[in-house]
Amino acid sequence: MLKKINVEDAVGTRLAHDITEIRPGEFKGPAFRQGHEVCNEDICHLQKLGKNHLYLIDLADDEIHENQAAAILAQGLAGEGIRWEDNPKEGKIGLHAAMDGLLSVDAAALAAFNMVDEVMCATLHSHTLAQKGQLVAATRAIPLVMKRAPVERAAAIAAQHGGVVSVKALKKAKVGLVVTGSEVFHGLIEDKFAPILSGKVTDLGSEVAGVSFAPDDETLITTAIRNHIDSGCNLLLLSGGMSVDPDDVTRKAIRMAGAQEVNYGAAALPGAMFLVASIDGIPLLGVPACGLHHRVTVLDLVLPRILAGEKITKKELAFIGHGGLCMDCPECSYPHCPFGKGM
Amino acid sequence: MQPFEILLESSAKAHGHLCPGQIVGVRMAMLGCRLIGLSEPTRRDQIKKLIVYVEMDRCTADAVAHVTGVKLGRRSLKFVDYGIMAATFFNLETGKAFRIISTEEARDLAAVYAPEIAEKGSRQLAAYKRMPDSVLFRVQKVHVNIDECDLPGPTRRKIVCSVCGQMIRDKRESMIDDRPVCRPCSGACYFTHAREVSWPDMNWSPGEQTPANRTNRDGDAGNRRFAIQ
Ligand SMILES: [Zn+2]
Ligand SMILES: [Zn+2]
Repeated sequence: MLKKINVEDAVGTRLAHDITEIRPGEFKGPAFRQGHEVCNEDICHLQKLGKNHLYLIDLADDEIHENQAAAILAQGLAGEGIRWEDNPKEGKIGLHAAMDGLLSVDAAALAAFNMVDEVMCATLHSHTLAQKGQLVAATRAIPLVMKRAPVERAAAIAAQHGGVVSVKALKKAKVGLVVTGSEVFHGLIEDKFAPILSGKVTDLGSEVAGVSFAPDDETLITTAIRNHIDSGCNLLLLSGGMSVDPDDVTRKAIRMAGAQEVNYGAAALPGAMFLVASIDGIPLLGVPACGLHHRVTVLDLVLPRILAGEKITKKELAFIGHGGLCMDCPECSYPHCPFGKGM
Repeated sequence: MQPFEILLESSAKAHGHLCPGQIVGVRMAMLGCRLIGLSEPTRRDQIKKLIVYVEMDRCTADAVAHVTGVKLGRRSLKFVDYGIMAATFFNLETGKAFRIISTEEARDLAAVYAPEIAEKGSRQLAAYKRMPDSVLFRVQKVHVNIDECDLPGPTRRKIVCSVCGQMIRDKRESMIDDRPVCRPCSGACYFTHAREVSWPDMNWSPGEQTPANRTNRDGDAGNRRFAIQ
């Protein structure tokens, strides 16, 4: 229960919540923290902040303070790879990445959590690459005093699959690259794929264990794939020959090499002719020619997820569609743009 | 208790169709029984311990009754017409009671729990299976004050209406000028203009070979109907 008192009568009482001060361009933050004992000198300051009344809190058995509520909520929301401190500021608790990795958000649980009255949680987009310590979500209870049961229910909803937000470290893969195309193989044109793909792989902390070139010949491509697997690669990237042209035999070669669960086509532009498959449990990504001309393609959306251990199937490739259209900005600002953020 | 899918199948069959209400009702009943500590509510030793109050006469109510085995005729099923998607599970032995309320937000959340299904009905069915209890329900611990005259078992009291002579069971009379009156006679009643009539084939009985009964079997009883005056 809350009781309203005049600020002049507040001397000797303890503040029920943090009191925020904003001095434009200078300071924004708590001028007083919860629990501070109000003394004579504070009255003027409080009045200057527009506080002519203060709340006194008298908690009933089934009630909790917003700070306690925020801690219960944070506990439910935080999945693996998340760190948070039980030190709410202005009622809010931030959830931070405990390591570099890929943020994953249980969007259904988050929606269900936010449908509970008087609690909230906001997050970054799922599949965002997060750095250690980065704020990825924040939560608070909205009223100063809440019933305990709905807070606990919201926390249970958040924890339904082990927390709404989690960060998974990217594993360091040994990547085998196969660059296909007869012109490149015979030296008629210079290859640009290998450096681009290698750059993306090393940027994510993995290593390129081997690069091989193959002409548009399914047997030779198959051999190149098998050689990488035999030499211990645990992720394969193939480029070129992914279109529907009769000369494009890469897809056939991928099947001949023993690929299962071949998913050809992704709901992204650039990247429509992207391919995801697996051979003996090793993921294989087929990168279409757009990977040469665009700084960012569907590969940039999928590769971190593969490295975080996620299985990419038809469903994942389809769900990229909402937000999967690149705006082709003259100056690319990815990842600070909507590309791939729909899911 | 049987697994969810088996209960759902038999509940949908008994109800007539598979609908979101069956899923919500079956899950509500499973949760309710768990909360009051009845693992096999339809088994002989537990059947008499359970009373369920349903607050709506909708699909969900059928599923709740089906799974728990509560019945109107056993007085273990109570219909309280609140128009609320809720039911209270009451353990007569322990006095424990929990009221389970189906959340409104579950409807809006179907799209996020089954985003791959475009058709609204199938999406709702799939989503209601996936949602955890915490999303589908709110639960209140409640005290149920049950009158002795509402309990299962023999009739506790019989009294005769002072206006029409009708026998009234279990304290359902109202007292008017200190005299017991039945609901119809008190006027607080769902029908009006009651007038006793005679009806066609008044002497039919299922056991006796009356002429009316034979005709019934021949299937032309319908032709012999006459209007009730
Ligand atoms: Zn129904
Ligand atoms: Zn009467």
